[in-house]
Formats: sequence, structure tokens, C-alpha cells
Amino acid sequence: MRGLATLPGLPPLLAIGGLLAAWQAASLAVGLDSLPGVPATLAAFPDLIRDPDTIRNIADSLRRMVVGFAAALALALPLGILMGRSRTFARLMNPLLMVTYPVPKAALMPIIMLWLGVGDLSKTLVIVFAVSLPVIYHAYAGARAVEEKMLWSAAAMGMSGPARLLRVVVPAALPEILVGCRTGIVIALITMVTSEMIARQSGIGNLIFNSLDFAQYETVYAMIVVVGVLGIVLDIAFERLRTALVGWASPVGEVAVASA
Amino acid sequence: MSARLLARAPIGLLPIAVLIGIWQAVALSGLAPPALLPRPALVFARVLEQLGQPEFLLHAAATLRRLFAGFVVALVLGVALGLAAGVNRRVDAVVRPLVRILAPIPKIALYPALILTLGFDDAPKIVLVAADSFFPILLATLQGARAVEPKLVWAARAAGTSAAASIYKVVLPATLPAILTGCRIGLVVSCIVVFLAEMISSTDGLGWVLVNAARRFQTVDMFVPLIAISVLGLALNLGLSAIRARLLVGFPEEA
Repeated sequence: MRGLATLPGLPPLLAIGGLLAAWQAASLAVGLDSLPGVPATLAAFPDLIRDPDTIRNIADSLRRMVVGFAAALALALPLGILMGRSRTFARLMNPLLMVTYPVPKAALMPIIMLWLGVGDLSKTLVIVFAVSLPVIYHAYAGARAVEEKMLWSAAAMGMSGPARLLRVVVPAALPEILVGCRTGIVIALITMVTSEMIARQSGIGNLIFNSLDFAQYETVYAMIVVVGVLGIVLDIAFERLRTALVGWASPVGEVAVASA
Repeated sequence: MSARLLARAPIGLLPIAVLIGIWQAVALSGLAPPALLPRPALVFARVLEQLGQPEFLLHAAATLRRLFAGFVVALVLGVALGLAAGVNRRVDAVVRPLVRILAPIPKIALYPALILTLGFDDAPKIVLVAADSFFPILLATLQGARAVEPKLVWAARAAGTSAAASIYKVVLPATLPAILTGCRIGLVVSCIVVFLAEMISSTDGLGWVLVNAARRFQTVDMFVPLIAISVLGLALNLGLSAIRARLLVGFPEEA
């Protein structure tokens, strides 16, 4: 491993090359229309990019994802940090979080659509629900683990309660909070695609299944590539952000796992 | 963790009770018509009623079958590959970059491709569940296997254990706590994913029950499969905690 690690970008690139080769080999071996090869899929991209409808769908999806992610952070970070600093509050919230944890959030789509319609609000709300849980959990874990002595020192120096929260707890919990954000952004992407696959009304997920229904297999695979690349790029971007902000803290999880 | 937490913190039931209270109040006040928001008592009664219906149980069985088939595949592959990469540097050099690329890809996006290549039957759902629960298990195993005290392995080797035997006699037991943690995440993920896959494209299973009820605007019936899958997730979690307590006697409970 040491030998390969001297070129930092190389192993992932080799991995991508290997995966694409495996896909191409599988396509050639199966020989079905429903599994086009890599060149055929890549050839579908120029048409997709020129189609304003496709671009609008992708833009809609990304907008909901970003808005949902931001709203979830605004909601979940204060909640998680508060849970980390108050045992009573943590005891109050923990069972509720535990019960909601195994609920498939994207599956709430049909019910929420009944109440709020098929528009952006329903789709964004589902993303907020899904992203909030891991963000709360990591903010909670981070805020709980803050060294008490630092808080005592700050108090001894005359810092007020709210100031301690902002200037001691938040920076100390930041590494763990950013791990939560990294998990959260990937979950936002998953929930976005899943809810669109369920509601089939607009967005990337809808586009994939529409193309599937029309037997435009190259488009299906091209859109899957788009979603996959989005996942990888977002993950790398958040990892970079984490290193830039809290490079001093040792990485907790090296790899983010994209799971519903 | 869960049972102890509930027992120690009855105040934690308060937010749940308040939420159900608000639900009841809104339903009773007439703000939302019953067709949109049925009373909680009605929903819970319907859950109990459905639990006695053979048809509903068949759907639940279909979901469970896919869930466990996928989970077992993920467990076997994840633990095997995790141990191999934890013990062998060459395997690690191949596995690590692949995981780095594959883990952040939303597996659900592959579902259409799985349908296209494997058909509409059980296979694509099982593969999807396996793909989604594989990575948490693999990563937990890998991390656990690397943290195993090397002296333990050396001691076993010095005592005449072969290299291969020391993997399952020393490394595997020492990695077990980490593996079980990975399993816990993997199980809940499996529950969620199998349900979503059934909602997206299926002709049976709990996810299909929800979609079917939505098509007929039977709101009460939409809540039932949701509650069922969540309770199933909690039950599997508790079951795993029990297994953990048996397998790891004396090992400190995870936070």
C-alpha cells in the first residue's frame, strides 16, 4: 500500500478505471440492449446536456437538495449541540430519535404529498427529515465529548454561558459536526433521488424511470453516472472542507457511506 | 442501549406522547379532514387488525425474505473482505480505493440498472439491499480488524497456529464487536432500502402495500406498512443487542 500511496490520486483513479472496465466487460459478455457499454453511455451525454428539459430537472433536484440540506443543518445543529450540553434534554429527545431512526424517510413521500401537494415543499421536507438525524447525532456526540476543563477555564475567565457555547463548545465539536455534515450531504442526495423515484413527478429520479419506461437505456445509465459522480464529488468536497477547517483533528471516518 | 435507555428515561416518552397528542388534536379539531389525517387510535387499531390478516403477513414475509437474503450476502462478503483487507496489505491496497469510490455512490440510483439486468423479480431488490448494507459492515470490519493487537496474532503464531487459522481463531473474535456494530447499521439500512425498493417497483411486500394504499387514497392503510417497517427495524435492533450481549459477555456495551 505504501508504494501506491506515494501518488495520492492514483489508487482512486485506478479504481475508477477498473470499475469502468468491469462494466464494459459485463456489457460485452451479456450482450443485451438493457446493459449498454461505457462508450454508448458516454455518447448519450451530449444529447442530454443539450436538452433543456433534462437540465431543468437536474437543476430542480439540486435546488431541493441544497435547500433541504441547509434547512436540516439550521434545525439539527442547535438541537444536537443542546442535547450534548444538557443531559435532561438528551434524555428527553433520545427515545424520539431512536423511534424515528428506522423510518424510511423517503417513504413518507406519499403521505406528505397528500398534505402539502406534489410541489417542492414536500420533496424538500423529506430531505430535511432524512438529513437531520445523522446531523443531530454527530453534533450531539461532538458536543457531549467537549473537555469539561476547557469550559471551566472559559467560565473562570468570565465568559458567559452563551459565549462558552459559541466559542468553546462549537469549535471543539466542529470535527464531529463536519463528519455529520458529510454523511448528511450524501443522505440528502440519496433521499432526493429516492423521493423522486417514488413520486415520479420531476427531477433526476423521475428522469431515470421515464427513460426506463421509454426503453432509452443509454439515458438511464447516463443519469445513474450523473448521480454516482455527484455522490463522489460531494463526498470529496466535504472531506476537503473538513481538512481545511479542522485538519488538526484526526479523521474519524475515512469513508462516507451512502446508505438510505 | 435502547431498552436500558427507555427504562431509565421515562421523560423521553414525553415528546412522543406530545406528538401523538398533537396528531389527535389536529384530527379531532377538524382542521384536517379524516381522509387526509385519520385519528391515531384508528391507525393503531388498523395495525393490530392487519397483523392478523394472512394477506398482510404474506407481504411482510416477502419483505423479510428479501431483507435477510440481501443482509446475509452483505454480511458474508463484508466480513470476509474486511478481514482479508485488515490482515493483508495487498488486498487492502485494492479494496480501499474501490471503497473510496463506491461507498459515496447512492446505491438506490443503481436500482433501475439492476431492474434492467436482473428483471423485476426478487433479484434486483436483494442485490440492492446487499449493496447498501455491505459498506457499513465492510468498513466496520476493516476498522476493527486493523485495531486488533498484533501481539495476540504473534502469540498465536508462536504457539503454532497457522497463518490462516489465526485469522478466524484470533482476528475474527477480536473484530466481533466492530462487526456487530456494522451489522446494526447494516440491518436498519436493509430495512429502509428493501421498503423503498418495493415502493419504487414491486408487486408485493410492505413497500408495495403503502404505494397501493396511496393509489386508492386509503390514508389509514398508508400508515400501517410504515409503522410495520419501523417496528421491524426497532425489533431487529433489539434482537441484535440480545445477540451481542450473548456473544460478547463482559464486553462493555457500546455508547
